Amino acid sequence: MSGTFRARRPASPPPSFASSVGLPSAGQQPGPSGISPLVHSQRFPHPREEHLDADERRAAASKGFAPSYGRTGKNFSSGGLNITTGEWKLLFFVILIASAVRLFRLSKPNSVVFDEVHFGKFASKYIKTQYFVDVHPPLAKLLITLAGFVFGYDGQFDFKDIGKIYENVPYVAMRMLPATLGVATIPLAYLTLRALDCRATTALLASLFITFENGLVTQSRHILLDSPLVFFTALTTFFWCGFCNEDKHEPFTSSWWTWLTLSGVALGAVFSCKWVGLFTIATVGLSTIYHLWVLLGDLRVPPKLWMRHFMARALCLIVVPIVFYMAMFQIHFLILENSGEGDGFMSSEFQHTLGGRGMQDTFADVAVGSTVTIRHVNTQGGYLHSHAHNYPGGSQQQQITLYPHRDSNNDFLIFNATDDAFDIHTQPLQYITASARIKLRHIMTEKHLHSHDHRPPVSEVDFQNEVSAYGMPGFAGDANDDWIVEIEKGDYGRKDKESWKRIRTLRTQFRLRHYITGCYLFSHKVKLPDWGFEQQEVTCNKNAVRENSLWYVETATHPELPADAPKVNYKLPGFFSKFWELQQVMWTTNAGLTDRHVFDSRPDSWPRLRRGINFWVKDHRQIYLIGNPLVWYLSTLGVAMYVLIRGFMILRAKRGYKDFDNTQVVKYDALCGFLFLGWSLHYFPFFLMSRQLFLHHYFPALYYAILLSCGAFDMLTSTLRPRVRLQIAAVLVILAIWNFVHLSPLVYGNNWTKSQCEKAKWLKTWDFSWYVTFS
Amino acid sequence: MASKGKSTLRQRVGHGEASNIEYESTQDDEHVEVVYQNPRDRSDIEVMLDTHKASVGVITALTALAFALRFYKINHPDQVVFDEVHFGKFASHYISREYYFDVHPPLAKLLFGLAGWFVGFDGEFKFENIGDSYTTNHVPYVGMRALPAILGSLTIPIVYAIMKESGYSTVIAAFSAAIVLFDNAHIAQSRLILLDATLIFFMSLTIYAYIKFRKLRYREFTPEWWTWLVLTGVFMGCTWGSKVNGILTVFAIGLAVLIDLWGLLDHKKEGHTMEYFWRHFMARATGLIAVPFILYLSFFYVHFSVLTQSGTGDSFMSPAFQETLAGNDMLLNSREIHYYDTVNLKHRDTKVFLHSHIERYPLTYSDGRISSQGQQVTGYGHNDTNNFWMIIPTKALPETGRGRVVRNEDIIQLLHVNTQSYLLTHDVASPTMPTNQEFTTWPKDDFTRHNDTLFQILVVGGVENEAWRTKSGQFRLVHIPTKVSLWTHPQQLEDWAFKQQEINGNKNPVERSAIWSVDEIITEADEIERDEEYRPVKKPKSMNFFRKFAELQLLMMQHNAGLIASHPYASGPINWPFLLSGISFWTENDAKKQIYLIGNVIGWWSCAIALSIYVGILGADLLARRRGMDPISDPVRNRLWNNTGFFLLFWGVHYIPFFLFSRQLFVHHYLPSHLISAMVAGSVLNFVLSETINYPISARGPKTKARPSQYSDIGIKGPVIFLIYCFFLFLMFVFLAPLTYGTPGLTGEQVNSKRLLSTWTLHFAAKTTEEI
Repeated sequence: MSGTFRARRPASPPPSFASSVGLPSAGQQPGPSGISPLVHSQRFPHPREEHLDADERRAAASKGFAPSYGRTGKNFSSGGLNITTGEWKLLFFVILIASAVRLFRLSKPNSVVFDEVHFGKFASKYIKTQYFVDVHPPLAKLLITLAGFVFGYDGQFDFKDIGKIYENVPYVAMRMLPATLGVATIPLAYLTLRALDCRATTALLASLFITFENGLVTQSRHILLDSPLVFFTALTTFFWCGFCNEDKHEPFTSSWWTWLTLSGVALGAVFSCKWVGLFTIATVGLSTIYHLWVLLGDLRVPPKLWMRHFMARALCLIVVPIVFYMAMFQIHFLILENSGEGDGFMSSEFQHTLGGRGMQDTFADVAVGSTVTIRHVNTQGGYLHSHAHNYPGGSQQQQITLYPHRDSNNDFLIFNATDDAFDIHTQPLQYITASARIKLRHIMTEKHLHSHDHRPPVSEVDFQNEVSAYGMPGFAGDANDDWIVEIEKGDYGRKDKESWKRIRTLRTQFRLRHYITGCYLFSHKVKLPDWGFEQQEVTCNKNAVRENSLWYVETATHPELPADAPKVNYKLPGFFSKFWELQQVMWTTNAGLTDRHVFDSRPDSWPRLRRGINFWVKDHRQIYLIGNPLVWYLSTLGVAMYVLIRGFMILRAKRGYKDFDNTQVVKYDALCGFLFLGWSLHYFPFFLMSRQLFLHHYFPALYYAILLSCGAFDMLTSTLRPRVRLQIAAVLVILAIWNFVHLSPLVYGNNWTKSQCEKAKWLKTWDFSWYVTFS
Repeated sequence: MASKGKSTLRQRVGHGEASNIEYESTQDDEHVEVVYQNPRDRSDIEVMLDTHKASVGVITALTALAFALRFYKINHPDQVVFDEVHFGKFASHYISREYYFDVHPPLAKLLFGLAGWFVGFDGEFKFENIGDSYTTNHVPYVGMRALPAILGSLTIPIVYAIMKESGYSTVIAAFSAAIVLFDNAHIAQSRLILLDATLIFFMSLTIYAYIKFRKLRYREFTPEWWTWLVLTGVFMGCTWGSKVNGILTVFAIGLAVLIDLWGLLDHKKEGHTMEYFWRHFMARATGLIAVPFILYLSFFYVHFSVLTQSGTGDSFMSPAFQETLAGNDMLLNSREIHYYDTVNLKHRDTKVFLHSHIERYPLTYSDGRISSQGQQVTGYGHNDTNNFWMIIPTKALPETGRGRVVRNEDIIQLLHVNTQSYLLTHDVASPTMPTNQEFTTWPKDDFTRHNDTLFQILVVGGVENEAWRTKSGQFRLVHIPTKVSLWTHPQQLEDWAFKQQEINGNKNPVERSAIWSVDEIITEADEIERDEEYRPVKKPKSMNFFRKFAELQLLMMQHNAGLIASHPYASGPINWPFLLSGISFWTENDAKKQIYLIGNVIGWWSCAIALSIYVGILGADLLARRRGMDPISDPVRNRLWNNTGFFLLFWGVHYIPFFLFSRQLFVHHYLPSHLISAMVAGSVLNFVLSETINYPISARGPKTKARPSQYSDIGIKGPVIFLIYCFFLFLMFVFLAPLTYGTPGLTGEQVNSKRLLSTWTLHFAAKTTEEI
């Protein structure tokens, strides 16, 4: 068999190869990276590629080496990035153009645009150190804040409505940050394609396409998070491509480690901008798994070396991003040290850490005769509350609700339900143990917490009973006022062992079972209507979910307790518990964003550029997010072509055609395959999300799609002479610029006439003219 | 691993270079000890058990036991339990021939109807509430419950047969069957008038037929090959026709067939021509697409021909459909509309009335856009005098007679009676949708915008000059100058419109949701005599079967997706394999009896463990292969990948999609997957016990290479493990049986002891209270 003969041929690979696979250099077969040694080796006098057979050429191509049949130039990867000094000059010009496009009249409009409402507001909150909760991680917002802070923003502007004129806000500086990152994305696109071994013409085309992409320009000109997101996505892609080149060349060198670590840091940064950064992590992750799988199949790589590869990647691509991400949250917590609008989302322990939200120490013991405030554990609804208003329906007795603020209407007095004559002043303290039967008297209105066989006002289902306050001064109460205490959970750290046996303030979580009907005191995130002041509903539930029927005592006072009796307070949560709690809150808030928005759209419409987003309208001017049709549709075409051609080639391969023996095919397959992976992982997961989605969620995927279409350009023009290729690219760029100019009034909010506007409406679904016609 | 034949893990050096033949012989050498043993070396019990006679004995015993367990006290409780409330009702509808609507296809329900008819049920009892008594209402419910019980019992021998056909030994096959046999959930589900037993029965038959078909793959296009192919299709159609999740079986078989075809396409393997491939493709398309689809259609054909009377399901259907049902309200009460009649207009999809009131649109909306500040036109769900509109002609009318009837394609104005203003729309963006036109009204006396108040009536499916009728005459209202149609969508307006629904003009001329109907004529025009011809037609019309079928399919899909209301016993798919939650089917307070759907904990957990072991084995095998080792001999490996992999595919396809559904889900949706996981458990047990299998099991074809036979040998430990396992399985079954059969009643303490997992929500649990 020829294969056997070839593989067993003794060879002497040069040192660089041997160390690359970590083996002693003697008596090994030449690996795929043996091409470079073959070319330059003294043993083989004719370093011409034609001598290589198809298998090795294919192996070479799969590692990204272009076939160079006799031409001089690079025919092996030297790792990292190889670009000439002339290209740096070219890049400089590209950056100049990009800056001009993205920074042009950045100060206009001088009023709040679209989501600047949110992100500007968050910057104010950071500066005023008031706690808030947002669905996005902090990095991009911190950067914007930094820009504002450096230029002297005092945080006093409220960013209330779209169109509100800025006063005393360095908004240009704040907009400058996304704009700068938008500009920086452009050289990255160039370098990425160069690292992927495309021609300079192709890379230039891609960078100009991105420069003149109306959507990316519009998005980067305002205080929004997507421009940083796209930038960091591009940065990660670039570092990752650089790392892959290093890896093909020689692993575990210092530059290899540098590229790998940079990839990890960039990954952390993407993920710290927006959670969709997870898709970038998935792209790099899948790519890594593929590399490791290939490496695993290489029987010359001993398990130990493989483990080294594995650990290095795990360290840099998992540990580093996580540490980075957590560091961002640490900064976030350090800055936001005071109470603010976001308090209500967080647990009581968390709130206790915020300035202005702290609580005095309170007595630890709870006994018959204690005045207590009782809080619900699972929702942030607040304290068990009553007030002198009655239910409009049901029993028409006094309301019981949950109320989030401290108030004397939250105070309840504990009675012993089995012994009316119990005197708290003369008899010893009687603690509230498990199975105690108690009554709770609302002090302000002298009524008892009561339940009976009426349906509650909002949750009118069979298994729910109404809870009310019932009684009158002097009335001892009836058996429907009796509740049995069930202790569910004591102190976590078990330092306070007593808390598992009897109720201790803040440490014991308990349930209250109604003595007569056996239902549990229950609350859930259901608001009462106006007559209940939109406070949270409290019911007695026969099929209570355990978490929603847990309560704890927040404050307790007892007339007979000495002032030096043991006191407690909330435990201060550490960074990790705060971090974890915030992640959960962000997740639930994010999943809850299901309201429709006038300009939201579903993912299937994005590649078609069906409709844009209205950012801002004022004085006959409009800013409207819409892509550059040429660039956009070309990118979609690139993706579609890839799917069709790749599918066709899979079928051909199955029928025995040997397309993949061609080095060109293998090279472009690897290149386009990676970009397609990026595109699909940044696009398809959106189909699973039921939350509000917008066109700008497509931008990371668009970035990959543009690179992919340029990769296709590189392949299609590979047989042409460089001059012709350049000419085609020039035509495409001119067309793109023409498209850009055509729609540019929507980017910059320039004046245009109605007829211009009507003419620009190429698709009926682009709904930007409507605002201009009626006002 | 087995005691004999310790195979050494050897690195397959130079795998890429070695030829296939060379490789195969190394494989054979390596595993020769284990594989090519003398059949006579096997233990006597094993040999004896694998004889045909013993197999028949085992299967008979298992089946008899299955019948016994499923028919035990089948008459208890004599009350309507859980979803019998629905499926019993549907059966009674078949008997009384009244039209009903349900999200599930009709086969299983037709069978119930048939069973009910057979045992003499008259269809009078309507299964209104859970807990209604059968005995006092004289319902022959035992006969109806017997149907799922029989099918559920017959599932046991099918499971056994599937495992036997897949080449496992009697003990292993009996093991898989026993997991299902002693399963409380399967038993509880098949003793009641529920669809799942039928679904599972046909699904297991589908698997059986497909395995038979695959085993004949070397004898392609022979009559028996065709027989099993078509039978697979038939059973698949029945599964699909039983319950809506039967479609998953279709997907599972579809995937298996695609994988199979992908192999046939492979040029390297056999070098088949494309023509050969297309022949195979067409055969499968016929057997597995055409046959099931025709069958599925035929179930609906029967369904429609049985249900000819008007019933509870009418209101779901289109007017054309409703007019095919005898005694239908629309058929009886549809009236012709005359000019100057005052009517109300109802939107078909959202059931709101076209409404207007004196309040005006706000000058600017919250997003900064500007309105016309005209009078608001909204959609309102309740009856109200502000819903009244008078139909004003735009042409000269005769004094009396038929000329005053409003007809299709007439151009009319709509006068809002309370505010005396005409409906109008114009080129202003609507409150919430900039793409759509705002609707408002214009004073009656002001003629400046007369043209903007003209609308044309386009009756859906109507012919020219057809009279416009209430209820049945569904129509679009198209604005003459701008061609938008009156449309609404379930979005509420803000407080300025009292949270009523938005009405706007949709630019899509054929928008499906822009259809309205006149609900009733409020006051008739003053003219003296009405022609008698508005008298409704009483004879049901006919309608093409395929149109009926298409309409019903669409509705079933929409309603299935719409079942999202929460239910106290609904549970997420992740809980199912671990049996974290059950369903309370029925309770009786006096005797403290209850039926609680919960599986046999031992059976379910061993299935879950088996699944994870299997995935682990596959993962380890992949990694080992990647590193050039093959610890498993080829026949065993192929069995693991192809046969057990097929089971796993079936399991996954019947389970994973539920994660994507947002509708109400219950643990009984996992029962088909559980049945399949029992088969996975059998084959994993086989692999754990021994490295041997019965091989080859596929029928030899004319061109097949002869391969040395192997025999499964799990030795004496197989039967012993089986018996011990069955003993514990049975104990657990008996322990949980009071919850399954709903009898005897349990004390609070007993209930507590049966609550094996804290997440089970049993009734009548004891609570301890002590007083201070």
